Amino acid sequence: MKTMRWILLAVTCVLFAPVSQWIFAADDYQFGPDSMVQEGVPQGKIIEGKHTSTVFPETVRNYWVYIPAQYDGSSPAAVMVFQDGGSYVNKTGQFRVPVVFDNLIHKKQMPMTIGIFLNPGEVPAAKPGEKGRSNRSFEYDSLGDQHARFLLEEILPMVAKEHSLKLTDDPNQRAICGISSGGICAFTVAWERPDQFRKVLSHVGSFTNIRGGHVIHAVIRKTENKPLRIFLQDGSGDLDNLHGNWPLANQEMAAALKFKGYDYKFEFGDGGHNGKHGGAILPESLRWLWRSEK
Amino acid sequence: MRSLTAFLLVWFGMISVATAQDMPLSQVLIDGEGWQLLSEGHAFTEGPAADKEGNVFFTDIPNSRIHKIALDGKVSVFAENTAKTNGLKFGPDGRLYGCRNGERKIVAYDSAGQPHTIAEDIDSNDLVVGSDGRIFVTDPPNQRVWLVSMTGEKKVVASGFRPNGIILWRDETTLVVTDGDIPHLWAFRVNADGSLSAKDKYYGPLTLPPGRDKPGSDGMTIDKDGRLYATTAAGLQMFDPTGRLGGVIHKPQPAKSLSNACFGGPNLSLLYVTNGDKVYRRKTKTTGVVYGAK
Repeated sequence: MKTMRWILLAVTCVLFAPVSQWIFAADDYQFGPDSMVQEGVPQGKIIEGKHTSTVFPETVRNYWVYIPAQYDGSSPAAVMVFQDGGSYVNKTGQFRVPVVFDNLIHKKQMPMTIGIFLNPGEVPAAKPGEKGRSNRSFEYDSLGDQHARFLLEEILPMVAKEHSLKLTDDPNQRAICGISSGGICAFTVAWERPDQFRKVLSHVGSFTNIRGGHVIHAVIRKTENKPLRIFLQDGSGDLDNLHGNWPLANQEMAAALKFKGYDYKFEFGDGGHNGKHGGAILPESLRWLWRSEK
Repeated sequence: MRSLTAFLLVWFGMISVATAQDMPLSQVLIDGEGWQLLSEGHAFTEGPAADKEGNVFFTDIPNSRIHKIALDGKVSVFAENTAKTNGLKFGPDGRLYGCRNGERKIVAYDSAGQPHTIAEDIDSNDLVVGSDGRIFVTDPPNQRVWLVSMTGEKKVVASGFRPNGIILWRDETTLVVTDGDIPHLWAFRVNADGSLSAKDKYYGPLTLPPGRDKPGSDGMTIDKDGRLYATTAAGLQMFDPTGRLGGVIHKPQPAKSLSNACFGGPNLSLLYVTNGDKVYRRKTKTTGVVYGAK
């Protein structure tokens, strides 16, 4: 009789598992109060600009700089760089970074941080009316140091100069974040230049074979550890296509970081290839990334 | 209406970070339709080029002969004593432009197969002709790319690497050049005066056959959706317009050199390749573009 009951329970579970997944695993992440404008919290300033690159020759892109209300120029600010900046800087989008920064900086849960939000570049066509060459995949998915050089040789000095800002030189106070291909890009920058960037935040990162990035987890396992702190977010509903399987790739990354004893955190939810989950947990991700204790 | 607006807002919000459209091989290849042998008994085949009707011309370099493949697949001799003519492309005037390298000339073959000199004292391997009559020519031994006008003026527009195959995007704003020694393809912006700039390793990394460290990339072609096909030792490598590898199409003869490719046949829907001593074609779900005519 007891056996019978177990069989019944097992059958019920199997029958209802897909339904329960459909009901409860619906990528239905919600914003918390730290992602909403709070009364009495001073709001930072956002400045928009346009940059023409030489490291990515002749590419043109829009960028935004977030300057915390608390910044007065007396001491250097921490820095956080965002790929696909237009999405991250949007106060009503999936991430709402300026709002989250306002709240967390105000509560001293992260340092006074200048946000640099970069859109991917485009090589404008020589003839008017023609389509330019989109440089997003090239800039984000490529392994190597080109993107790190772009940030270090061009963007950080340009932002400091153009907007008269004091940016920190301390690699522990420099973070980099991105979604999808922007996620692998963030990792690659820190991996190439741990002397310059040591905090990485990846949302549904494309650690897949778009341009060879599927090997990173294997490289991590066989490389002496670098002084990085890494937050990875992904979901079981993420992509599975010709470039690879995102949920598996992110689990491989997490497993490699665990195996090597890295300072990392992996949030694996049930979302798809979007910023809902990453956006909802952004405040806690930033608190974890910027925490002062080991 | 409000819900439509909301939907569009969400949708546009999502594309701002969405990756470019994936282009797997399944968009191009047809199940059960493999390579079909068209012509054999040659020494070394190269330079397949389609006229606007879809007739394909190819060269047998050591035998100094250009052949024509009619729409029905019938092969005939188009020109003899071609002085080892290599790369071929049609121009806007309907003539067949060729690298007549045995005489160090760029020529245009008329419909009777008679060569007319365009430029002299020029080493060449492959070429592409724009709708404005500008001819871009690769010169591997001297490591440079030439811009040649219809009236024979020539100037070097790129140098410092070993160029081989060469192709223009359909809108002619971007020029792509292969270098068989490096695992990517170079892209350049084509400026109004025909000069090249914004050079970067846009396409790649190329797939290398196991145990090889050079891709052996050679001639290229492009289809109506902007996919780029590069012949390499590993096979015909297909890239999407953002430079990401979509897949590798196998060589008809695995042990022989895959030198070049073009679309031809009815509606330019067949893919032709020159593969060592033989020429093949296969049906596809896509169509090529007519070179020299926008």
